[in-house]
Amino acid sequence: MTRGAEQPTDEDLVAAVLEGDRDRFGDLVDRYQSRLVNYLFRLLRNVDDAHDLAQEVLVKVYQVLDRYDPQFKFSTWLFRVAQNAAIDQIRRRRLKLVSLRQEDDEGDGRDWDLPSPERGPYGELRNQERGDAIQDAIDALPWEYRELILLRHFGELPYEEIAQLKGMPLGTVKNKLFRGRQMLKEKLQDFLTD
Amino acid sequence: MTRPDHNTYREWLNLDVDGRLPQERRAEMDEHLAACAECRTERDRLCALEALLGQARAAVEPGFRGRVLAALPSAGWESRSPRTWAFPAAACALFAAIAAAVVGSGSPARGSSAVLSALAAVAGMFRATLTAGAGLLAASWKGLGMAFAALLSSPVSLGVFGVFVLCVNLGLISLLRRRRSLPADAVRREGGGRR
Repeated sequence: MTRGAEQPTDEDLVAAVLEGDRDRFGDLVDRYQSRLVNYLFRLLRNVDDAHDLAQEVLVKVYQVLDRYDPQFKFSTWLFRVAQNAAIDQIRRRRLKLVSLRQEDDEGDGRDWDLPSPERGPYGELRNQERGDAIQDAIDALPWEYRELILLRHFGELPYEEIAQLKGMPLGTVKNKLFRGRQMLKEKLQDFLTD
Repeated sequence: MTRPDHNTYREWLNLDVDGRLPQERRAEMDEHLAACAECRTERDRLCALEALLGQARAAVEPGFRGRVLAALPSAGWESRSPRTWAFPAAACALFAAIAAAVVGSGSPARGSSAVLSALAAVAGMFRATLTAGAGLLAASWKGLGMAFAALLSSPVSLGVFGVFVLCVNLGLISLLRRRRSLPADAVRREGGGRR
């Protein structure tokens, strides 16, 4: 199943799960949980909702795992399911575009957990300010750029998988990521010169 | 050979940040960077953006993996997986062997004819079980048919049944309509939609 001392591929793990080794699905969860939660967090803007939906997505994927076609990357499939689920949830709940700070004031949101070395009152404030600025900058992107930026930077998908997931030519993906980053840089310029 | 324009170098910088700059462009890119302060600044800003986005990651709640695994339902494909079949198949084989041994021990025949007669007896038991099961199923359907016939025999019960069916259909239609009337503009306001 594995090649020498190498880690098993996603496809190896899926095959093991389909043969009845349920624990191998836990390995897939380990592999993707951070990317999935962060990608959904940026779409839903609430970390608890992101965790709940990530769990739903993983359960949904498990239920239909036998339909997975190994000629495609597992991650492409996973993030396609995740994106559709997130869009459904945005539709269903008519998510309000509230900032993280507003959520904190109302007590129904969770704060950022930035692994930043900045500590103390000033550092916390700075982290909060930076977190809000990043979310605002991402929210301000037109959808066609935002979805690619999120898939690239938070889903950590390579260009080819993004192209396959979105059904776009590779060149278009590169171009849109380039332009999306330009927009982000302009919005976040105060934080890029520190 | 013509030099790429400035925008091309900027595109290359983006590729470089993603670790996707082709090796054959590396020397040319480095040469340009050494000479162009604007592109060096651009590269630094791109790297800073990459680092900034990297810092803005939420931590996954401890125990997330366990919660996901605990929430996994029994999927339809599991009943078709080889390992799932292994235990019931082994149990059936064991049962058949025990049955053959028990039936065979009571048989006056010896040797291979005893084994054959034992197997035939076990097969007869399975056949009888299947026949009984099929008979029960047929009786159940027959009973259901009789109940429906009794229900629809009088005009009153026929009317009640008709109203019931109508209510169920109206309920389903209203559910479907509610689902369709969910605001499609929620995502449009977001600036996107399903592709």
